[in-house]
Parts: sequence; structure tokens; C-alpha cells
Amino acid sequence: MATLSIDKVTKAFGNTTVIPELSLTIEDGEFCVLVGPSGCGKSTLLRIIAGLEPISSGRILVDGVDMSDAEPPERGVAMVFQSYALYPHMDVGRNIGFGLKIARTPAAEILERVSRAAEKLRLGSYLKRKPRELSGGQRQRVAIGRAMTRKPKLFLLDEPLSNLDAALRVGMRVEIARLKAELASTMVYVTHDQVEAMTLADRIVVMNSGRIEQVGTPLELYHRPANLFVAGFIGSPAMNFLKGCVDRVEGNQVTVSLDIGLSLTMPVSKAPQAGVEVTVGIRPEHIVLSAEGQADAFVVKASVVELLGSDTFIHVREGEESLVIRDSGGRMARAGDRIAISLPPRACHLFDKTGQRIFDAAAATEPA
Amino acid sequence: MMTPLARNRIRGMVIHAVLFIVLGFWMVPQIYMLSIGLRTPAQAFDAELFTWPVTFDNFVTVIRDNPLGAIFLNSLIITVATVVIVVAVSSLFAFACAILRLKGSIFLYTTLLTTLMVPLASMVLPLAILLQNFGWVNTYIGLILPYAALGVPFAMVILKSFMEDAPHELFEAARVDGCNAWQTYWHVALPLVRPALVFVTIWQFIVTWNEFFLALIVLTKSEMKTLTIVPMQYSGLYMANPGALFAILTLIALPLILLYVLVQRAFVRGLLAGAVKG
Amino acid sequence: MRAGSAVAAVKRRSASRASKLYLFALPATLLFVVFIAYPILWVAGQSLYVGTTGGAVFAGLANYITVLGDPTFWTVVRNMFLWGVITIPVQMLIGGLLAYFIERHTHALRGFFRTMFFLPVVTSVSVISLVWVQIYAPYYGIAQEYLKDVGIVMVTSPIGDPKTAIYALIIVNIWQWTGFSMLMYIAGIANLPGEVLDAARIDGAKGWRLAVHVIVPMLAPATKSLLLLGVIGTLQTFPIVHLMTGGGPNRASEVFGTFIFKQSFVLGDTGSGAALSVIVLVIALALSLIQIAALGARLSPAGRQRP
Repeated sequence: MATLSIDKVTKAFGNTTVIPELSLTIEDGEFCVLVGPSGCGKSTLLRIIAGLEPISSGRILVDGVDMSDAEPPERGVAMVFQSYALYPHMDVGRNIGFGLKIARTPAAEILERVSRAAEKLRLGSYLKRKPRELSGGQRQRVAIGRAMTRKPKLFLLDEPLSNLDAALRVGMRVEIARLKAELASTMVYVTHDQVEAMTLADRIVVMNSGRIEQVGTPLELYHRPANLFVAGFIGSPAMNFLKGCVDRVEGNQVTVSLDIGLSLTMPVSKAPQAGVEVTVGIRPEHIVLSAEGQADAFVVKASVVELLGSDTFIHVREGEESLVIRDSGGRMARAGDRIAISLPPRACHLFDKTGQRIFDAAAATEPA
Repeated sequence: MMTPLARNRIRGMVIHAVLFIVLGFWMVPQIYMLSIGLRTPAQAFDAELFTWPVTFDNFVTVIRDNPLGAIFLNSLIITVATVVIVVAVSSLFAFACAILRLKGSIFLYTTLLTTLMVPLASMVLPLAILLQNFGWVNTYIGLILPYAALGVPFAMVILKSFMEDAPHELFEAARVDGCNAWQTYWHVALPLVRPALVFVTIWQFIVTWNEFFLALIVLTKSEMKTLTIVPMQYSGLYMANPGALFAILTLIALPLILLYVLVQRAFVRGLLAGAVKG
Repeated sequence: MRAGSAVAAVKRRSASRASKLYLFALPATLLFVVFIAYPILWVAGQSLYVGTTGGAVFAGLANYITVLGDPTFWTVVRNMFLWGVITIPVQMLIGGLLAYFIERHTHALRGFFRTMFFLPVVTSVSVISLVWVQIYAPYYGIAQEYLKDVGIVMVTSPIGDPKTAIYALIIVNIWQWTGFSMLMYIAGIANLPGEVLDAARIDGAKGWRLAVHVIVPMLAPATKSLLLLGVIGTLQTFPIVHLMTGGGPNRASEVFGTFIFKQSFVLGDTGSGAALSVIVLVIALALSLIQIAALGARLSPAGRQRP
């Protein structure tokens, strides 16, 4: 267990800056997920933490000790690679124990720790097999086992589930959640899959082009995205964005008229000026299907309807804008149907022209 | 009308038959060599591929009269030492280029690569003088080191490309597991490129075992001579006795042929695994 | 990029550790400097001196002028040209055909054919040379005997006639090294992407059309390598000629290898031997570079010491 501090780190490959100045502290025992689209620098950041990638400037501190130039073992890191990176010529037991062997651990202790890890990961009967004789899920567990036996201060995982098929992925996600409780190690987990991020993380770091967009608990990110990027990235299907401009400001009430011809009045903490362009965001699951003729109802035509059984996704095109509505009520709708919707102001997010959040109404819907 | 299946089978048989006929012609020199070796002195000069009856007398005679074992041993010592040095040195160098990516290693690599464009014919004179100055004429080392220097570039090309093709995360995993450069080389890089190592070993063995030009110049003492350069001397010795000459030639050619037949599967596997890329 | 940076961290921390890593490259570099680079420089220097190593006198380009004025030199050039121009395409053609039929039309016997056709490559070249001398021999050789049956009557041994000697040697060389071309093409054919072949088949290409329009172009890398290796191999031709004709009769089958051997070790004329070595070296480098520039060929496989 350890506290990890990333202090004003930058990283450039030649003339290309991959990570402009970035600082982040990950607390002792925390499960921190770095998430973002591919190429956002999250993997590079993980490799910097691991000590596989030298930094251009700044410092990496583990428990307050400067480890910027230290080799991975000196930092006390263990890592699960995306491709698992199992040594193909070693059997499972030797793969798991290799790090200990290099550290000149006595053979008896290696044996004991390997078998303990194998037991925990249900690999006991596979110890003599080569990686190529294992299934994807088993390889994944070997990779985790290899990292576990090192008793790392920092447990790093680089997109560990991305090579598994969908069914296995769910199973392994649960397994990692279980491990997280057992290991009580500081864990840094990189993924581009927001479901993994939401379900596993104590804290999520959303990254975009080498910068941190927002750091927060999963629910903070869901309910109070700091900007358009985070709002669009977290949540599936993604949040709907509607363009509009501020019509009127009255005290802490602001009225926004949307380009699709709808007008919304909502409370704000800090009022913008009248006339400025804004973006209103609302999650598909927060749009309410209402009866035609109801006071705030807005009638649209469904263009595509996806029936998932548990949910129905209704896609709507209105002029330049498109909307997705998620209905869990089992309502039957067909493409071409006219449906009435309403956008509860309290579920709406307001972003200014630069994409920053300016409106906190959603805070009210957050569970206390 | 023939069914497509039947047509395929007939085509297959025709192709096999043609291949066997071509192979028959291709093997004539080898068959001829063995056939003369098995002849009695009376038949030795018959202009025929096969004669009857056969006799093993020639083989018995030449084995009894000649120190073939000692000559074989010379070849073996020189070849094995060369192969070991080439594999060790070239894999270390390939590791420095492909995995460590040392500054300047690509320049060195390109420089060493030009060796492949140097015909041995232009090297024999300067090498002969060099070895003379070192006092290495008629020594094993006098052949081993030049052979190694000439062999390293080719082995290095193959091993480097194999190491580059290996998943890079494995080497990072080794680093996370605490390996230093040497441990990564020994525990991870070498086992990973095993098919290439086998291929390089076999090819270097063949090339070294059969090298003629430099051996001819460096090995002048008869007790140092290798299997490749003794046939000339026997062709003089057994001028009037082709049976004996060809028996001894068969014996000289045999070890490497047998070895190749034994290892060809591994050799071709390395080749198919991409040891040779266009 | 990643690997480079992986090392960079180590470098930053300790210069001594970084310089230790150069030990990996040291042995190869040493071998190269001592046994390749130094001898080449020496021979280049020596080519400018006349006389034996002890009492040599600087003579500028005199050795080169002598060598270029020697009619044998031009015989050698002609022979080397013939050697390359005949050997390389014929080996490619036969080797390619064998590879195609063995890889695409045999199954159980594939390993057998691959091995058998490769055996001449692993048979000691000196043994091969003596066997072929016997085959070509007048009166008791089987070549003349059997060729009579198909109507070709030879008055002398083909290697005893200045007009035919070089061709007779070329045949031996082709015979010995075709298996090598075959194996290179086998590797190429085995590694052809199956999807492309399937796509071609769906497009209706099969049999010869598939071979000519799809497979041959896709084997271009192997062909380029063979061309490059063939040129180097041609220039270092020695054992077959030395053992079968010694460059004769009347120097008609002389090649660079035997010419250098005679000048340097038989006549002891180190100066002109060195000049010849340099000329061969320059030709080899020039031809290789022209090919690499023109064809983008990579200098890779299996080339060293290939006659």
C-alpha cells in the first residue's frame, strides 16, 4: 500500500507533447481508474507510473519518496498488461514466480507464494501448463497472479479486460472487484470502457488529450460532469446535447430557448448573461415520455427504435439535432411513431460556449 | 466426364510422378558417387550408373588406411566453436539493437550488414596475411574467428528481426519483474527466439562445415586439415582406384547429410516462422 | 520509440550502467573491426604497393593498371557475367517451380521432397566437384555415355574444352544451389496470406493464372533476396572452379576467386592480388547498392559464403 503522487509531470516524444503538465495524487489503498478515449494518454500515464516510460519533467513520488528515475521493482509496482505478456516458454507456475526468482527469493517461499496465488485465482490445476494451452480468462488470471505474488505497493492494470469476449469480461470484472477488496493495495486501472470504470473505481480520472478533465467518484462524474467532454464520455448511451441560447435571466432562474424550438426554465447558482450561446445536456434515461397534450410535452417523431428487452432506445432527429431516449417502462414504440417527451429541467446540465459546466440543477436529483 | 475429385487425384498423381522423375535425375551425382564406391576395381571405370555386384571392400580399405576420425574431429571442433561464437555474439548484438535500442546501435548494425555484400574471394588475401601476422596459420582459432566474423552479420539480421517481432510487452513485463538487461536477454529474449536460434545454428553449421577457400589457405599441415579440403589430396592418392576415392568421398559427405536429415524439420520450421523475410 | 525510452530511464540514472549495456554490442563490433574492416583497409592500402610485404614500394595505381591490362582479367569478367546471368535466373526458375509443386500439390511427401532437393547444398563442395569431374570424364564418365543415347556426341570432356568449360561448371553450380532457391521460395509460398489466395480464387483465378498473376508477384521479396545473394555468390565463386578445372584449360574458366588465389598465393604477387580483391569488393558493393536502390531489396537471408 502506498500513496502515489504525480507532481507536475510532462511527457513528450520528440516534439510531440503527449502529456502537458499533469498532477494527481492517488491515496493509499485507493482503486483509481484512468479512463478516456484511445490516444488520450492514459496508458502513457500508467507506464510513467510503472517506470517503463521516463518523464520529461516533474516528479513521481511513492509514499513521499522521489522515484522519478527508479526502475519498476524499486517503485514496488506490479503490472497486468493488456496482452497479459505471459512468457510463452514458461509454465504457469514459473510465470507467476518469475519476479520472485529474479529477486532471489528462496525456492521454498516462491513455491508457497505461487501456490497461494494459484489457489486464490483457481489456477491450482494449471500450474504445469504453458500459456498457449490456457483460455483467455485463465491467461488473464495468470497475469493477475504474477502481479499479486510480488506483494506490490502499486498494482497497475492496463486495459486488462479488453482482450476478453463480452461474457468473460463481466465475470472477470466481478473477480477484479473481489480482488480489490482482498488485496487492499493501491490500484491504478486503465480502461476505455466506462462501465468498468463506473463499477470498479473508488475514484475515476477522466483524461482527454493528455489532460485530466475531471477527477471524482463515479456518481460525481455521472451527476455533475464538469464539462461537455466528461458529460459525453460517462454514461451509455451518451448524454444528449442540445444547442440553444439564454433568453432571460430572472434572479436565479434562467430561461433557455433551444434550437429545436423548446424553451426550458431552470434554476442556476451563477447566472449567465442573457443572449449567450449554451448547450443543454440531458441523459437519455432522464427524458420523460409523456402524453401528448401535456403542458410541457414536446412532440417528436421516432426515427429508429432499438428494442433491447429491458430498455428501449428511441432515436429522434429534430432539424440539426438528434436525441436518444431511453425508456425502461416497456413502452412499445415503432419507427415513425409520434411521441411526446418532456425534459425535466432538474435533470438538465448547462454548459457554456467553452464547454464548462455553469449550472448545478442536477445536484438536486443526486441521491442524498 | 470426370468428377472434379477424380481429376484432382489424377493431377496429384501426375505431379508426384514428375517430381519423382526430376528427383531421380537430381540425385544422379550422389547415386553415382555411392555406386562407384561400391564397385570392384574391375568395374571402377565402367561408364554406367549402376554396376553389379556391389562390394564394401573400398569402404573397409579407406577407413582402415586413413585417419578419417581425426579429420572429422578437426571439422567438428572448428564448426562447433564457430557456431557457438556466432550464435552468442549475434544474439547479444541483436538484443542490443532490437530491445535495448542503444544509441548508435543502428549505425553499427548497418555497418556490420555491409559484410554481407563482401565476397569471401576479396577477403582471403588480407585474412591470410593477418593470420600469418598473428601466428594463427594452422590453428583452429585462425579459422574460427574469421568464420565467426563472417557469420555474425547474417545471424544478427535474422535474430534482430525475430526479436523485433516478439511482443514488446514481454520485455516490459520482464522489467517490471525486476530483470536487468542481461537477465532479460537470458530468460526472455533467447527463449522467445528459439526457432530462429535453431535456424541460425543449423545454417551456420552447414556453411562452416563446408567452407573451402579460407580453410585451403589457412590449413596447410595435414594433421590440421578438415573434411572439406582433404578430398583433393585423396583424388591424387587414389587416382588409379576410383572405387576407394568415391568410398572416401561418400564418407566425407555423409556426416553433414545425415545431420541435415535429422534436423531439417527444425530448420524448415525456423525458415517458415519467418527466419527469411524477403 | 517505447523500447528506446525504456532504456533512456536507465541511461539517465547512471552513465556507467548505460555504458555497460554496450558490452552487448562489443563482441560483434570487435570481430567486425579485426576480421572484416581492418583486412579490407589493409588490402586497399596494399593494392597501392608493388613487391612483397617486406620490401614493398609505393606504386600508386600501377597494380590496377597491370591487372586491367591482363587479358585474363577480361576473361574473368566475361565468365563472371555468364555465371551470374545464367545461374541466377535458372536457379530461380527451377527452384521456384519445385517449390510451387511441392508446397501446393504434395502433402505426405512434402518433407521428403524438400529435404532431398536440398541435399546438394549440404554436400561438401569438394566432394561434389570430384563427383562431377568423374561424370564429365571422357571414356568412363557417364555424361558422355548417356548423352550419346540422346544423340549428343562429345569429342572431349566438357571441362577440358576452353569453349565449354565455363558452362560445364555453371551446370554444377546450378545443380548444387537450386535447392537453396527452392527453400527460399517454399518459405515465401508457405507464408503467403491465405486470405489473399482465397480472394483470388473467388475472383476465379486458379492453376496457372493463380500462379502467374498472384503467387509470382507476391514472391517478389524472395526473388529480390535471391538476386542479391546470387550476385554476391557469383563473385565469390571458387571451390567448384578451383577443384574441377583450376581455371583452365588455358585460363578459359578463370573466375575472380581462382584469379586472386593464383596471383596471391601461387605467384606471390600480393600487390596485384590486393588490387583484384579491391576490384571484386567494389563491384560487389556497387552491384548490391544498385539493386537495393533500384529494387528496394533487403539484404537479408542466407547469403554468406554461397558459391
